[in-house]
Amino acid sequence: MPTPAPNLASGEPLADPEPDPGSGSEAEGSSQPSDGPSLDREAEERRQADIRDRRLVRRLRAGDQRAFEELVRLYQHRIFGLMLRMIGNRQEAEDLAQEVFITLHRAIGQYRGEGRFYTWLYRIATNTCKNRIKYLRGRNFHRSVPVDETPEAHDPGDGGPVVPLQARIAGPEAMTEGARLQAAIQRELAELDPEHRLLIILRDIQGLSYQEILNITGLQEGTLKSRLHRARVALKERLAPHLA
Amino acid sequence: MPATKDASAERITAYLDAELPDDEVAALEAELAEDPEALAEVEQLRRVMSLVQSLPEIQAPPDFAEKVARRVRRRVALGADSTWSLVSLSFQVLSIIVILTVAGLYMMAQLEQQPTGIEREQIPGTAPDDQVPAPVEP
Repeated sequence: MPTPAPNLASGEPLADPEPDPGSGSEAEGSSQPSDGPSLDREAEERRQADIRDRRLVRRLRAGDQRAFEELVRLYQHRIFGLMLRMIGNRQEAEDLAQEVFITLHRAIGQYRGEGRFYTWLYRIATNTCKNRIKYLRGRNFHRSVPVDETPEAHDPGDGGPVVPLQARIAGPEAMTEGARLQAAIQRELAELDPEHRLLIILRDIQGLSYQEILNITGLQEGTLKSRLHRARVALKERLAPHLA
Repeated sequence: MPATKDASAERITAYLDAELPDDEVAALEAELAEDPEALAEVEQLRRVMSLVQSLPEIQAPPDFAEKVARRVRRRVALGADSTWSLVSLSFQVLSIIVILTVAGLYMMAQLEQQPTGIEREQIPGTAPDDQVPAPVEP
């Protein structure tokens, strides 16, 4: 998919990514192993979400601030979650997530409605995040606050029921062990190269499809797959002592 | 990474993500059956992916949407006064120029007033205010 690379230096969304083949009725979303009816349901949910987003964007472009607030409410958790997992500092993540929505408000005129709205929003978010990481590196910023893994910090949201790690570990020490493993995963994830971290967050945590990630990152499909592989191998190696 | 390794990495990723066509799945599984080390690697990757996928979603702070709305309202309000922003910017630039000019003039005036080191070095008896003793009347 020859999507032009986003302008990472400016952080501006500039233009829509290429239209998503799945923005109509075709299923192209998360391809976690699932059965046929489930895929159909997911495709239908996506189609409905796209229709809703297009309507909200139209209203926002007409100056309806309530449409903007609705878009913020719909995507705040995903964008904040992306920022927090990328940056690792709650306050910084909140500032950045706010920046993303303010950029959305300012640049909505540049969104032509050809690609999916939320792919475009993610593009703004990843550009904002990369620019901030570059800036923070220059200032020797260190993650001072770990990602909050307390139960109240999480919500299943629209992504379906969350199976906590605690539920995967049997026995009376499940809570402690699950929390320890969860913290270890987040810590090791945070140590990955930001490009690798981003791909794991987009694909494995937020469940975006290859097509969506290609549109967001501007990568070629082969590059995405090999880079995702390297990211997973790097994380596996880092997690090895915790999984032994 | 060499091209063959790249191709292999791409296939494994697509396989783990259930994005590999059926015929290629069968071929890859046959290859993995012949290579226990590669199979173990794939299984470990699957386990790591499963753990990562089960991390709970993070929720934005409860007042997040309100904070964004407030910032946008402020931005819109400032945007309405964009003429003032421009005036303010020009005023700031002008102020800096005036300050630099005044500072420059002051420094030049100081330099003119202060004699240089060479000028200050006096030959005894040649200074204009040196008191040359009056000749004594015989």
